[in-house]
Amino acid sequence: MESEDAEDDEDKEDEAPRNKRAANRRKAGKKAKDTEDESEGDSDSKTDSEEEESMSEGELARLTEEVEEKKKLIANIRTKPWRMRRRLTVLKESQEFVDKFEGALGGKGKGRAWFAYKMMMKKKWIKFQKDFENFRTSCIPWDRKIKEVESHFGSSVASYFIFLRWMYGLNLVLFSLMFGLVVIPEVLMGLPYGSIPRKTVPRAEQPTAMDYSVLMDFNVRIGIFGYSLMVVIRTMAKNQDVGGGDDADNEFTFSWKMFTSWDYLIGNPETADNKYASVTTSFKESIVDEQENQKDENIHLRRFLRVLANFMITCILGGSGYLIFFAVSRSQEFANRDDIGWYEKNEVEIIMSLLGLVCPPLFETIAELEEYHPRIALKWQLGRIFALFLGNLYTFLFALFDEVNNKLEEEVHIKNNSVWFLKEYLANFSMYNNDSEATAPPINPADAIRGPCWETSVGLEFVKLTVSDIQVTYLTILIGDFLRAFIVRFLNYCWCWDLEAGFPSYGEFDISGNVLGLVFNQGMIWMGAFYAPGLVGINVLRLLSSMYYQCWAVMCCNVPHERVFKASKSNNFYMGLLLLILFLSLLPVVYTIMSLPPSFDCGPFSGKAKMFDVVMETIDLDLPAFIGTLFGYVANPGLIIPGVLLMVLAIYYLNSVGEAYKNATLELKKKMQMARDEEKNRRNNKKSTNQQQQDLEDLLPKRSLAPPPPPENNTEKKEEKGGRGTRVKPGAAGGVNMQKDVSLASANPNARGPVTREPAPRGPGALPGNPQERGEKGRGRGAPRQ
Amino acid sequence: MGSRASSLLREEDIEEIKKETGFSHSQITRLYSRFHSLDKGENGALSREDFQRIPELAINPLGDRIINAFFPEGEDQVNFRGFMRTLAHFRPVEDNEKNKDPDAGEPLNSRSNKLLFAFRLYDLDRDDKISRDELLQVLRMMVGVNISDEQLGSIADRTIQEADTNGDMCISFSEFIKVLEKVDVEQKMSIRFLH
Repeated sequence: MESEDAEDDEDKEDEAPRNKRAANRRKAGKKAKDTEDESEGDSDSKTDSEEEESMSEGELARLTEEVEEKKKLIANIRTKPWRMRRRLTVLKESQEFVDKFEGALGGKGKGRAWFAYKMMMKKKWIKFQKDFENFRTSCIPWDRKIKEVESHFGSSVASYFIFLRWMYGLNLVLFSLMFGLVVIPEVLMGLPYGSIPRKTVPRAEQPTAMDYSVLMDFNVRIGIFGYSLMVVIRTMAKNQDVGGGDDADNEFTFSWKMFTSWDYLIGNPETADNKYASVTTSFKESIVDEQENQKDENIHLRRFLRVLANFMITCILGGSGYLIFFAVSRSQEFANRDDIGWYEKNEVEIIMSLLGLVCPPLFETIAELEEYHPRIALKWQLGRIFALFLGNLYTFLFALFDEVNNKLEEEVHIKNNSVWFLKEYLANFSMYNNDSEATAPPINPADAIRGPCWETSVGLEFVKLTVSDIQVTYLTILIGDFLRAFIVRFLNYCWCWDLEAGFPSYGEFDISGNVLGLVFNQGMIWMGAFYAPGLVGINVLRLLSSMYYQCWAVMCCNVPHERVFKASKSNNFYMGLLLLILFLSLLPVVYTIMSLPPSFDCGPFSGKAKMFDVVMETIDLDLPAFIGTLFGYVANPGLIIPGVLLMVLAIYYLNSVGEAYKNATLELKKKMQMARDEEKNRRNNKKSTNQQQQDLEDLLPKRSLAPPPPPENNTEKKEEKGGRGTRVKPGAAGGVNMQKDVSLASANPNARGPVTREPAPRGPGALPGNPQERGEKGRGRGAPRQ
Repeated sequence: MGSRASSLLREEDIEEIKKETGFSHSQITRLYSRFHSLDKGENGALSREDFQRIPELAINPLGDRIINAFFPEGEDQVNFRGFMRTLAHFRPVEDNEKNKDPDAGEPLNSRSNKLLFAFRLYDLDRDDKISRDELLQVLRMMVGVNISDEQLGSIADRTIQEADTNGDMCISFSEFIKVLEKVDVEQKMSIRFLH
């Protein structure tokens, strides 16, 4: 109604009184609504009050006026001095409007009840959604625990726990998939066929029902990988968005921290203490960042040291690989002997775990030669430990393959034996009974000669590995952290030097080691899940207990890092590692599916030449024929190769689109920066540094975006800035030398002081750091609080 | 108008408050009952002790200053009008301010007024500038004794460096606005008042 109507001027005089009426009506507010309701002559005051609750009053009043006006317009349309066409259109519009909304206001329209109902349902739906979101957020476990850890130890330690929680969720889903789709049907259907004997499928028969369950089994196992892949990639993509958005906030870091870091919703004194701790930590983090940006040193010495460090680390990696190889070949010798104790049986696993324990601290001490920024040093450390674990794992796998091959040979041997046995039995049978019909020998399947099942043994190996890994981790935390803290704390009273400040002191939380342990554990689970489905369940339990255990250990026995630094904004590094491990653990499994024959006597895939044949057979035998031919066509190389090409092209296209967006964002940022510089220059000096911009501005009408500049009483500074050339960082006002008066490198007073005591309980009315002489302006704390 | 301590809220009062602050009728009544529940002395006005009973304000390092923002210059009691006027700063910003009367000036909950409210929390001596000392006081309140005085001084200097554009070693209101330009003040400084 306020828009300019290009048509007739005569409308304006109609609009003006209409506007005034509308304004009056709005201002009168409640009174107007009352009169409206009365004038509607409706007795459904109840529905009105309901709608009042469900619609805001403003909406209701506004709609009421509009309906009134439209009605008046309809009544008076003949008297309006308009052209006919216009009258008709306006009439139609007004009638539609009245029909539609009269129902909402309790008029005698037909749409009343329906409209009220619709609005009410909509509001209810929105409320339901909000409640559901609240519920979902409150279901996220361990939030408070993690916040507590974060406020004491900083964001990098907390990121480990967040990662742990995410993994727990992933494993839970995998476990429920496995459990729901494989174990339950088997338990349900297994009994008629005998669940244990079922695993030793009688060679003669394969009931059709079983085919589907086997296929389902296979699919679920493949599906586990697919699901994991999807989830990891999706999380990476999501983190990418979040991480890329706030790059430009290194302009006002300290100002923002100063003005916006308190959380005004905190009402609990303990939480307030945590928040204090975290505010302090975040200031310290920024100080460390600043320091790092200002160091400059001898480049050549640094490079040499770095090369040396890398060389030493490569040696260590090679040494550990050889050690595992040696241990595995020894274990094969052991397998041939009979008098093996517990140690020999588990030797390989023990060695692997020990290596994983000893090498990372070694890497860390060597890495001190390199003198990187802590964040980058963390990444290097992670990379090296990754290489270590990878080497170990693959050596282990090769060893396993050796074993599997051995077992397969053995199996052939036994198969020959059993066949020979069967033939003999039949021969005897027919000899005694003169019956040439062959029946299955009445041997309980459980007693039948069973060959070694390589799948089972592989699954067993993985389970053993996982269990020993868990044990070693827990023991390390217990001994390395808890015992150490215990000793330092209590032996300190009677020791020559200060244990807390000196040699052992309290441990710091080893982020890189723990993250990689987690990632590799997951890799092992993925590999082993195909052979031992229960492994996922074990892992779920492990992650759950690990969460509580490690949270307790961190809060109880560790101190915050001496150099507190922020974790990188996105979690993508961890996710990238996880993705890599997923691929790497997929490879062996796929290899075995495709090439190794399943064992003859056990497992759901027995009897086939390759496991993959399950799918092929189902397609051939159970599904309608045309699907089989369809698959045959699809599997034609002539179709597959163009398909692959198409996918490659799609990847390339999406990649270039992503690049283009990134460039566009950069351009926009630059423009904003330039505009800001222009503003500053204009305010200070009235002369633009960019000639094109200046020409443009001379042409345009004078439009100042900023409030008029404060009265300048220091003109020298102004002129100095006017002469400055191109991009001046807004933060570096006046070109103050950053190194000059910002001495953030001064030592922290509590340099090595670990957090040994709780924040002192506060007396009434005294916040830490509050200077007591706060009598200014009569704002002292008055009467004590109740 | 300011000293009338009436314990019942009258229609004209509600209308005036509505015009001044933009709250709706039901919001005003609801806030009045909250005002009433805070007012333990039953005298129609709140004192500083009444505010300090609120736990979130009590543990806030800037709590005292926020409480002070409710009280007009030099007074010790705030009545309901004053209470609403301060709370109006925290009303969410709506896109279609239908009540916008061009003569009434900027609504109390505009971005610039919100920022002015925040600015006044730091600028204790009301000279429209945040000086280095005032920053030091705020820092001291926020981090306590865990960081040395020297480092705090450096942080304050650095903050001024970042924000100061005209070189007077103080942060003026316009510089303050620029610092918080990218912060979503409309959303962070808003309370969702129930209807």
